[in-house]
Amino acid sequence: MHAAWFVAVAGLRRALGIGALLALAAFILGPLATLLVWAFAGTWLFPNLVPEFSLKWWVYVLSNADVGKAIRMSVLSAPTATLLSALICIPAAYAFARLEFPGRRLLLLSFLSANAFPKIGLYVSIATLFYRLNLMDTFAGVVLIQLVNTLLFMIWIPTGTFRGININLEEAARDVGAGPLRTFFQITLPIALPGLIVAALFAFIAAFDEAQGSLIVGTPNHITMPVLMYALVLSYPQPVGAVFSVLLSLPSVILLLATQRYLRAGYLAAGYSL
Amino acid sequence: MSASREADSAGHRLASGGPAPRVHGDRRGWTRGVLGLALVLPPLLVLAFLVILPAISAVVTTLTPAADAVPAAPLANYAEVLGTRILRTGIVFTVIVTLVAVAAVFCLSYPLALYLRFVRTRMAALLGVLFMVPLFVPVVIASFAMITFLVGHGLVSTVLYHLGIERFPRLVYNATGIVLTEVWVSIPFAVLILGAGLQAIDDALIDSARDVGAGPLRTFLAIILPLNAAPTMITLTLLFIAIFGSFTIPYLVGGNAPQMLGVTMTSYLTQYLRRTESATLAVIAFMIASVVGVVYVASVSRRERAAP
Amino acid sequence: MMTSRKPGIRAVCAALGLALIAFVIGAAGPGAAQSPITLNVYINGDTNIFDLWNKTLLPAFTKRYPQYRANFVPLLHGDGSQGVLDKILAAKQAHKPTDVDLWETDPTYVTQGAPNGLWVKLTTQLIPNLSRVPTDKLRATDYYSMPYRGSSVVIAYNTAFVKTPPKTLDDLLAWIKANPGKFTYCDPNTGGSGQAFMVAVVYKFAPMAQYTGGAPYDPAKEAAWDPAWQMLKSLEPAMYNNGFHPNGNVAVLQLLAQQNVYIAPVWSDMGTDYLKRGLLPKTVKLEQITPPLFGGDSTVTAPAGSTHLEGTFTLLNWLLTSEAQQMVITAVSGYPGVDWKYMPAGVRQQFADVAKPYAPLPDSKYFADMKRLWHERVAGGG
Repeated sequence: MHAAWFVAVAGLRRALGIGALLALAAFILGPLATLLVWAFAGTWLFPNLVPEFSLKWWVYVLSNADVGKAIRMSVLSAPTATLLSALICIPAAYAFARLEFPGRRLLLLSFLSANAFPKIGLYVSIATLFYRLNLMDTFAGVVLIQLVNTLLFMIWIPTGTFRGININLEEAARDVGAGPLRTFFQITLPIALPGLIVAALFAFIAAFDEAQGSLIVGTPNHITMPVLMYALVLSYPQPVGAVFSVLLSLPSVILLLATQRYLRAGYLAAGYSL
Repeated sequence: MSASREADSAGHRLASGGPAPRVHGDRRGWTRGVLGLALVLPPLLVLAFLVILPAISAVVTTLTPAADAVPAAPLANYAEVLGTRILRTGIVFTVIVTLVAVAAVFCLSYPLALYLRFVRTRMAALLGVLFMVPLFVPVVIASFAMITFLVGHGLVSTVLYHLGIERFPRLVYNATGIVLTEVWVSIPFAVLILGAGLQAIDDALIDSARDVGAGPLRTFLAIILPLNAAPTMITLTLLFIAIFGSFTIPYLVGGNAPQMLGVTMTSYLTQYLRRTESATLAVIAFMIASVVGVVYVASVSRRERAAP
Repeated sequence: MMTSRKPGIRAVCAALGLALIAFVIGAAGPGAAQSPITLNVYINGDTNIFDLWNKTLLPAFTKRYPQYRANFVPLLHGDGSQGVLDKILAAKQAHKPTDVDLWETDPTYVTQGAPNGLWVKLTTQLIPNLSRVPTDKLRATDYYSMPYRGSSVVIAYNTAFVKTPPKTLDDLLAWIKANPGKFTYCDPNTGGSGQAFMVAVVYKFAPMAQYTGGAPYDPAKEAAWDPAWQMLKSLEPAMYNNGFHPNGNVAVLQLLAQQNVYIAPVWSDMGTDYLKRGLLPKTVKLEQITPPLFGGDSTVTAPAGSTHLEGTFTLLNWLLTSEAQQMVITAVSGYPGVDWKYMPAGVRQQFADVAKPYAPLPDSKYFADMKRLWHERVAGGG
C-alpha cells in the first residue's frame, strides 16, 4: 500500500468514497435498471413509481424466431472478426512500433480514416465490391464489414503497447542467440498480452455494434443483432423495446463475466503500457 | 515486471512512448523496411478497398460541381454547404458537444483510473467491475435506456416528483442528453486505457516524490501526468473521433436542432435527396477529425525524436 | 511472472479454437441451406406492418401457393430503407442479381432508384389484378410501385382533457396556441404523422396542386411556403417541452399514452391498433379535421434485378385479391389498395366513417425540400 499515500493524502479517497460510489452506481446502473423494470411492465403510467407487472410482452417477444437467429449470427461473427483482425493487425502494429519503413507515420495515420470518415455515403461502393467478390449475404462478408470497424483499435493500441516495451529486452534475447520469431513469441508477446487483450476487447465491441454495413451485407439471411435491434427496439411499444434490450444484452453480460478477470487492474499490471 | 523495468531505465523514455525505431542506412535496414511494409500490407489492403478508395470517389463527387452551378468552381459544393447557416451552426455545435463530452469523460475517468490504480480496497474492486458495465451494452440499447431513465415522466423525474420536486430540467432530447449518454458509454474505454498507462508507473517514483517533499497535486502534475502522457493523448484522440462521428446517440437522444453532423449528413442523404451535400459534409467532418489525428501523430513523433 | 500470464495465453488459444469452430459452423450454416423458391420480402415500417406481413399475409400466401416460401426481413425506416436502396443499387452496378424480391418502403426511395432502372414497371399483363387499382394511385409513382393498403393521418385527442376537439385546421392551430405544451408532432424526417401536420400548414398557404400529382419540379415555387414556415415557427414555443418534436410515429403515441400531450397527429391505422391493444388510454379518440391531413397508399415495389420475379408477381397479384385486402383491413385497420367497389358491402359499410378523403402527398422532390426547409426554418430557428 506504499504509493497509496498519493490518493489518501489528496483526499481523493474520501472524495471517491461512499457518496461518489453511489452517484456513479446510480448514473451507470440507473438507466439499465429502468429498462429492466420496463421489461416486466404491463403498463406504467406517470406518476406511479412502480408499474403494473406483467410477463405478457415476454411471451410476445419470445414467439419471434428472428431474435435467436440474430443473436447466433452476432455471437459467431464478432469474435471471428476480432480474431482475424488480431491476426493481421498485431504483426502490422509490431512493424509500426519497431521497424522503420517509408511512409510509416502516414500509413499509421491512415488507419484513422476507418473510424473518422463517415461511412454513410460509402456503402454503395462497398456493396458493389462485395457483390463482385460474391460476399453479399455471406458470413465472410459480414465478418469483413465488421473487421473494418476494428482496424483502428487493433492497430493503434497494440502499436502503443509494443512501443512501450523496452527494446533492450528484445536485444538481449537476440544477443543470446534467439531468432526474431522466437524473441517475439517468448519475450515481446507475453509482455504485450494485456494490452493486446484490451485492444481485442474494444475491437470486439466495435465489431459487435456494427449495424448499417451489416444490414446491407448481411440481409436477408445473415442478419446480426444490432440490425434487428434498430428495427425492434425503436418501433415497438416501450415495454417490448425493453424486453428486446434485456434479451439482446445477455450475450454481452456473459462476455463481461467471462472477461472481467482479465480486465482487473491487477492483471493489466503485468506490463501493459502505451 | 516490465512496468518497473521501464521506470527503472528512465522515466522520460517511458513518457516518450518508448524508443524510436532507428533509421538504418545499411542493407539490414532495407530488408527491415521491406519486412515492415509486408507486415502492414494485409490490414492496409482491407482499409484501402473498403474505406480509402470509396472515400476518394466520394471526395471526387464533392469536387464535381452540380450541372446547373454558376460559376462551376471546383469548391462550389463546399461553398454552398458552408454558406448554409444551419450547417455552419451544426458544425460548431458538433465540435462543442464533442469537446464538452470528451472533457467530461476525462474529468470523471482520470480520478477513477487513479483511484483504481492506487487503492486496493473492496470498494475499489467493486468500482472496478461497475465502471466496465457500459462497455458491454450496445449503443442503441444504451441510448434507449438513457431516455427511459431521464425523460420527463421517466424514472428520475418520477422519483423527484414523489420527493416533492415537480420542476424537472430537460435532460434528454438536447445537447445535455447527448453529452450524458456519450459520457456513459465512453467511461470504460477511457478508464481502461488511462488505467493501463498508470499501471506502468513505478510506485517508487511516486514515493520518492514524497520523500523530496512534493504534495499530491505537485506529484500528479510533475510525475504522473507527464509519465502517463501517451495513454492520455491516445484516449483523448480516440474519444474525440468516436464522439465527433457518432450517429446513434445524437439521433436518438439529441434534439431537433441544432443536430450533430452524423445526423445531418444522414438526413441529407436519406430524406432530402441530396447525396452530394451529404458527401461534402462527410468530407468536412473527416477533415476536422483528421486535424485531431494529425496532432496526435505529430506529438508522438516529436516525443520519439526527443527520446535519446 | 510467467505463471500469471499462462492463463491469459490459454484463454486466448481457447477463444481462437472456439471462434474457428464457430467460423466453420457459420460458413456451413444458414447460407448453405436454401429452399427451392424463397422470396425475400423486405419491409421497412412500424410494428403493426411487421406483424401484418409476418403473422397474416405471408403465412396465408405460402399456404395458398405452397411452391413459395417467404423470408421476412423487418427493417427500420430511414436508415434501414437507405441500406436496402444502397444494396439494390450496388447489385445493379456490379451486374449481379439482387436478393430483394419485394420491398415495401416510402415513395422517396422508389423515386431515388427509378432513374437507375432499379424497378419493374408494373402492368396488367404482369399482374392481372392491377386493373382493380385506381390508375391515379399507380401514376403517383409512375407505375414503379403498387399500392396495397392505405392510411391517413388523423388527429388523436384525449377527451379527459380536451372537451371540444378542434374540427378544422384553424381550430387546431388556435387550440395549440391556447394550450401551450400540450401538442407536438414528430420530426418530419422521422415519421409520416409529423410530415402530415407540416404539409397541412404548407397547403394552407400555398396551392397544393402545384406540388402534387407529378407537377414539374421548380424550386422557385417554394418561395410560397414562407408564410407556412413563419406560422410553424410561431407555434414552436407552444409545442410540448418548449418546441420538442420526438423521433418517429411511435414516440408521439407514447407521449399521448403518458399524457404528456393531449392532441397529436397520428396515423389512423396505428392509432386504432394502439387503442385496440390497450396501449393508449381509452379516453383517446381519433378524428379527421378539415381540410384533411394527408394520407397515402403504402406501396410495394418489385426490384428489376430479382431472380424470382415470377414469384414476386404472384405475390403482388395475390395481395390485390379480396381475400388479402380484407386481411389488411382487419389486421391493421387500413384502407384497401384496390378500389372500394371490389370490397364486400359489409366492409364498405364498416369503414364508411373512417375512410374519409385525405390530402395527397407532395411529390418526392418537393417533399424532400419541405423536410429540409422545416429543419432550416422551423427547428433551426430562422
